[in-house]
Amino acid sequence: MYKKTLLICLSLILSYSFLIGCQAEEETASSSTSGSTLDVVLERGTLKCGVNDNLTGFGVVKPDGSFEGFDIDYCKAIAAAILGDSGKVEYVPLTASARFTALGSGEVDVLIRNTTWTASRDRELAQDFTATTFYDGQGMMVYADSGYKTIEDMSGATVCVLQGTTTELNLDDRFTKSGIPYTPLTFETNDPLQAAFEEKRCDGWTTDKSGLASKRAEFPASAGGPDALVVLAETISKEPLGPLTRDNDSEFYDVVQWVVFGMMQAEESGITSSNVSSMAANPKDPGMARLLGVGFDGGEVQDFQFGIPKDFMQKVISQVGNYGEVYDRHLVPLGLTREGSFNALWTDGGLIYAPPFR
Amino acid sequence: MFNSFFLKNFISWLDKSSFLRRRKTRRLSFQFLFLVFIALIFWYLVSKAMQLDLGFSHLNSRAGFGLSHSFLIDYTSNDSRWQAYFTGVVNTIRICSLGILLTTILGTVMGVVRLSSNFLISKFSALYIEILRNTPLLVQIVFWQIIFLKLPQISDAIIVGGFTAISNRGILIPWIDANPKSEIFLGIVLIAVLVSIISKIFLNRKEDVTGQKLHSNSVSLVIFFVISLVGLLGTGIPFNWDIPSIYQNEFGTYMQSGGFELSPEFLALLFALVLYTGTFVTEIVRGSIQSLPKGQSEAAQALGFSSYQRIILVILPQALRSIIPPLTNQYLNLTKNSSLAVVIAYPDLFMVSRTIINNSGHALPMFFVILFTYLTLSLIISLIMNILNRQVTKVRV
Repeated sequence: MYKKTLLICLSLILSYSFLIGCQAEEETASSSTSGSTLDVVLERGTLKCGVNDNLTGFGVVKPDGSFEGFDIDYCKAIAAAILGDSGKVEYVPLTASARFTALGSGEVDVLIRNTTWTASRDRELAQDFTATTFYDGQGMMVYADSGYKTIEDMSGATVCVLQGTTTELNLDDRFTKSGIPYTPLTFETNDPLQAAFEEKRCDGWTTDKSGLASKRAEFPASAGGPDALVVLAETISKEPLGPLTRDNDSEFYDVVQWVVFGMMQAEESGITSSNVSSMAANPKDPGMARLLGVGFDGGEVQDFQFGIPKDFMQKVISQVGNYGEVYDRHLVPLGLTREGSFNALWTDGGLIYAPPFR
Repeated sequence: MFNSFFLKNFISWLDKSSFLRRRKTRRLSFQFLFLVFIALIFWYLVSKAMQLDLGFSHLNSRAGFGLSHSFLIDYTSNDSRWQAYFTGVVNTIRICSLGILLTTILGTVMGVVRLSSNFLISKFSALYIEILRNTPLLVQIVFWQIIFLKLPQISDAIIVGGFTAISNRGILIPWIDANPKSEIFLGIVLIAVLVSIISKIFLNRKEDVTGQKLHSNSVSLVIFFVISLVGLLGTGIPFNWDIPSIYQNEFGTYMQSGGFELSPEFLALLFALVLYTGTFVTEIVRGSIQSLPKGQSEAAQALGFSSYQRIILVILPQALRSIIPPLTNQYLNLTKNSSLAVVIAYPDLFMVSRTIINNSGHALPMFFVILFTYLTLSLIISLIMNILNRQVTKVRV
């Protein structure tokens, strides 16, 4: 009898020591993240990228299980820069309310999930925004037959909104500003929100205009199709979207930031995925040579000391493309044109501007 | 294979050594080791927690978000995060108190009906239990939400008798609004309560002394209603009816106003919680009734009690002794399960806290607040039920 007890005790201890072992491993992982995420990614061999899996154009799961979208391409670009292969990304789909905890706890290395840059998130949530990849603005979508033309018309309306978003706060600011009563109906995820909106449980649906365009484009015909809906002209707020990293992680932060800038610079310099190899072999000017990590006219290669191969931008551009290519691939089909918007290059009057690679 | 071989050798080695052979030493040492491991894990967790910011000051900031349901309190986005949280707590208490009341009624009726000799209603009760007890609550909540969303849209709302509007925006029922006369009326009602209580005590005493049956209950009730009716007629109508209405605004969009609103989210959560928890209460009531000696109901029958009297006067009061302890568990379950509101846009305390966490980032302190609130709610329910239990078990059977 006591042998049995002894066996049980021993197996208990064995399993406990196993648990402790796991914990110790985790601890070393987290202690090294407090050093640099870059080393963790290099050691692991994959990039863990927190993404949206339910927003056409930005991040969506295709029927075969792969991910696709504007934000997804930035995950790929960072993986291509650090690991040399845009396929070495582990996508972690996150809800709006779980995303910051996931980044803060180290579950993901970088968060690229149409996330707005705000002061409180930058400071209070202890996270760093790298560069803005898309200048968005919050909009309001209503049924065309409701007769609403502006937000001022929507007195007493019920508005569907996602929980844990800046959208929720902007919505309140907007209605409070005009002194209009309204009822927010706050959902945790997009699917039940859309179901409620389709049944006209709410009069309006508010989120970023890009998101509204994407939801409108795929609105089911059974509920009236895209033509049953209108997005009001008013832009409620500024929503600059971009990748985030954890606070105090400069090495990794710089890599993410300059990969994004590099893609913008590539577009400005006219480097695309199809001509990058010939450009690298024969750069037109010293600036282009610095961007692509090659020597100009047989000269020395400038090393920015990012801690990754000097020719990282070559891999990014050949495997993913420049800013314009990524935009055209995912956002133009949604009807989000670049001309005249903030997302045009600065040379065309937009806000897409990369600091010099020097 | 290797492990068991290793263990057997290890055990036989332990058997040979004299000090370790003592059973007591061995038991103690294993318990000690176990304690050390627990302590290590605990220390690890505490040291991790110490690194986090444990301030509650962020809860004083302006909330800045609206809430779709605020019951009894007028919450606006200008209030602090504390007030937003408190609104969530009130929403939770609202759903739980109503849920507990309805669950008790449903469970008692279904439990009694389950034992009925009528084949149809007895099997109906059995069917209810087996279907709803064996499907997950979360699924049921989402199911009811879909059902309520499938009610007619507001443009084709059903108007019942001109005073109740039913649509997927909610069920609006007529309500009363206070007017200046209400206070006078409320005072008169208070006097009526006092007078009827005094008369009941007086009649009870007289009954004890004289032994004459004086019907103290009915007499005091009649006194209460007579005084209240006099007050109602005397003050005129002491309140205004708040009749719900559905109208088109200047843009042609349908709007609703007035009345007391039962939103689809509230109803879906209430239906799911009551129907699900009701199955367990039904089984508790059935089990407790069946545990009573058969002689009790036979004796009642022999004394000529009607079947209604038999249940109300003989069976249920005795069954209550074994109903209350497990019933308390079900009340606690209902309260804790109400946190599933988060999936259907009903702003209970858990959902509001999640919004606050998202805006402020202070997850750990907020979770302490949430845990403390649920603990308090549960302990209050336990306390009330324990007092009730003591009352019921005072008399020994």
